[in-house]
Amino acid sequence: MVKKRRKPKILMMEDNIFLRKLYRDKLTREGFVFIEATNGIEGINKTLSEKPDLIILDLILPRKNGFDVLDDLRKDSRTKNIPVIVLSNLAQEIDIKEALARGAREYLVKTETRLEDVIKKIKKWLPK
Amino acid sequence: MPKHPSKKARVSDAVSIVAHQLKNPISVLYGYLEVLLSEEIGKLNKKQKEYLTDALKNVEVISKIVKDLLDVSRIEEGKYEIKPRETDLVKICREVINNLSSWAKASNCEIVFKKPAKLPKVYVDSSKIYYVIENLISNAIMYKSSGPAQVVIELKRKGNKVLFSCKDNGIGIPKKDFKKVFSKFYRSEEAVVLNPSGTGLGLYISKAIIQLNGGEIWFERNKDKGMTFYFTLPIA
Repeated sequence: MVKKRRKPKILMMEDNIFLRKLYRDKLTREGFVFIEATNGIEGINKTLSEKPDLIILDLILPRKNGFDVLDDLRKDSRTKNIPVIVLSNLAQEIDIKEALARGAREYLVKTETRLEDVIKKIKKWLPK
Repeated sequence: MPKHPSKKARVSDAVSIVAHQLKNPISVLYGYLEVLLSEEIGKLNKKQKEYLTDALKNVEVISKIVKDLLDVSRIEEGKYEIKPRETDLVKICREVINNLSSWAKASNCEIVFKKPAKLPKVYVDSSKIYYVIENLISNAIMYKSSGPAQVVIELKRKGNKVLFSCKDNGIGIPKKDFKKVFSKFYRSEEAVVLNPSGTGLGLYISKAIIQLNGGEIWFERNKDKGMTFYFTLPIA
């Protein structure tokens, strides 16, 4: 009997309710399991409890910002290998360099990235 | 005594904050419209598609205004980042012309590109220079006279610089406005009629970009009709 392949699990840390809804609907249609967190602390907790295959991370987040989230994920052996795609409004070179230096695999600027491109990047970075 | 920020700095801060706040709503609108127009959640009739396409075009206008406003505040704060590297201006001109070609054709406007067989590279921030060239050519198309029009783009070497020119036979700029052309929010009366959604920030940002890249930008009125905009950039 062929074993049914598990759907990849994506965690989105994003405080904007409408963006979460947009990604929840789109990623579910694309066949992913979607989990969400509205702030950095909740995001870290859900990373530990849900063990996502990939994280989409906003940087300006309440309670714990995205840069600190990246540091926490990198320091913990349980989470350091989970690929993180930053999806932020910050478009300055200094922020991009900082996030990549702290372990983000990809940096996407919200207003410059189409939804379909985010899906492509998710597929690119999901563990094979 | 603590130093208070100037009124100009406070206005610039406020503009920057508001522009940043608009980014999330813009991303939401883009995303929802993208999904609807892809018809992945349901087929659209012709009118629905037309309205949603118009909505998307308008979100793009808002997005450009926000980006320009943020650029203006960074320029004024002295925080505008320039990442120079060896750049081929011929390649940038070709890309811009290619991207604008369908719009130019639909506007009955021919774009002619002249360049020497060999042109040295310049040492500039290519994405910012792309913005300037796109802005100048777009203006030439946007503010064309009625009937067929022509825009001539030319690159040539001038000493240790490369000279770019964009010549049009469009509506031109009134002489009384010459001093204001590179000012923030400047728009001629006729320009407002032809393109109500323009902001008058493009030439202000373009001037800052050219100067930050070590060049100069200027314009002159053509003898017959229209304007020619020029800029120079240092050879790498």
